[in-house]
Amino acid sequence: MIQRSPSCDTTIGTALATAATTPEILSSLMTRIASGEREALRQLYQATSSKLFGVCLRILSDREESEDVLQDVFVTIWRRADRFDVTRASVMTWLSTIARNRSIDRLRARGPLAYAGTIDGLEIPDGADSAETLLSAADDRNKLQGCLSELDDRTQTVIRTAFFEGVTYETLARNMDAPLGTVKSWIRRGLAKLKGCLQS
Amino acid sequence: MSEAPDLSEAEAFAAEHALGVLDARERAEAETRMAKEPAFAADVEAWRHRLAPMLDAIEPVPAPQGVWTRIEAMLPANDNSAVMNKLRFWRNSAVGGFALAAASLAGVVVQVTQPPVVVQTPAPAPGQLLNASLTATSGQPQPLFVAAYDPDRKALIITSLLPAGADRDKVNQLWLIAGQDKPKSLGLIEPGKAKIIALPLEVMAKMSVGAKLAVSIEPEGGSKSPDGPSGPVIGLGELSRL
Repeated sequence: MIQRSPSCDTTIGTALATAATTPEILSSLMTRIASGEREALRQLYQATSSKLFGVCLRILSDREESEDVLQDVFVTIWRRADRFDVTRASVMTWLSTIARNRSIDRLRARGPLAYAGTIDGLEIPDGADSAETLLSAADDRNKLQGCLSELDDRTQTVIRTAFFEGVTYETLARNMDAPLGTVKSWIRRGLAKLKGCLQS
Repeated sequence: MSEAPDLSEAEAFAAEHALGVLDARERAEAETRMAKEPAFAADVEAWRHRLAPMLDAIEPVPAPQGVWTRIEAMLPANDNSAVMNKLRFWRNSAVGGFALAAASLAGVVVQVTQPPVVVQTPAPAPGQLLNASLTATSGQPQPLFVAAYDPDRKALIITSLLPAGADRDKVNQLWLIAGQDKPKSLGLIEPGKAKIIALPLEVMAKMSVGAKLAVSIEPEGGSKSPDGPSGPVIGLGELSRL
């Protein structure tokens, strides 16, 4: 989702101190982490931990648990950096996805009570466009937002809820008081439409 | 966009897994399929990629102080993968003679085109005691060898903590890896025994903080490769000040 940006010749140290971290810098950090350089992991932490902590907090709504998950995420990155294919995926997407998946694992581990709340009024705060956001990343985001908003409200809500809370069909069906098969077909139709829209 | 074609059953399942709506049993099934079917795994990845921009909208929140310290404490005790890669490189290049020959040739070409370099003879290093604990490269990072470098005695004292008499038809060979040099053999060491290895001056010059010592398992007589270990490296450690 993050495209290559033309200029990236700032020195890594100063670039990481500011928010202008380019995909190239993140990629080179991943390569160095894969070869066992701790300093590179520290720099990656400086560059991305706020973003990833935000993801954990958004899903878990609990600072202590989010800290645990954030730790787990970076230890995972350290162990698995060699599996990351710089040519195939964006570093930020990879990292955010790990943070999201780990947070959801944690949420599920809390047990069924965690899903007791209704999903009405679920609000996804749309982060203001901060200066550091890469234009191309913002493009991807805007495109997805645009495509999601073309879905009917109910389908949008179930997709967002599933994504941010990792709730199963069964829980969604219970919370929405709808048959499981119906919820499933809303989501499958919604995802098919989403794919079509993103491709267009 | 209302007329989008339905997803195939496999892709729908991949999308549901990426979205997170599957129950525990179905998730396990999806993970198994990802491991077995590259096409299915690619579908899941593609869907994760499609959905990930939703995460971009989340505001960053500075992580509390102290998290990094805890992460650092959780990393494996020895940060050795770079050296292990290098050792593997030398092992592989010993096998792939062509690559090595090509590399040496490249080296020659570079040397010819470089302007002459004035070599300054380094002043004799002031005596500095160094030590290293060589820990196991797999499993628990327990120490397998301890080494002490004594510049006054011009020697390295290495003690094997392995049980004496283990593995009689194999030997343990000690290596020094300094800077960009290929691993240099410092000789064979016996399990359970201490050994004093006299060091020539040019080796002493390389005994500095950060240089690594490694022990590999080799056939009797030591590594047959002129370029480094031919067998697995079992212990690795870094020289540091006492």
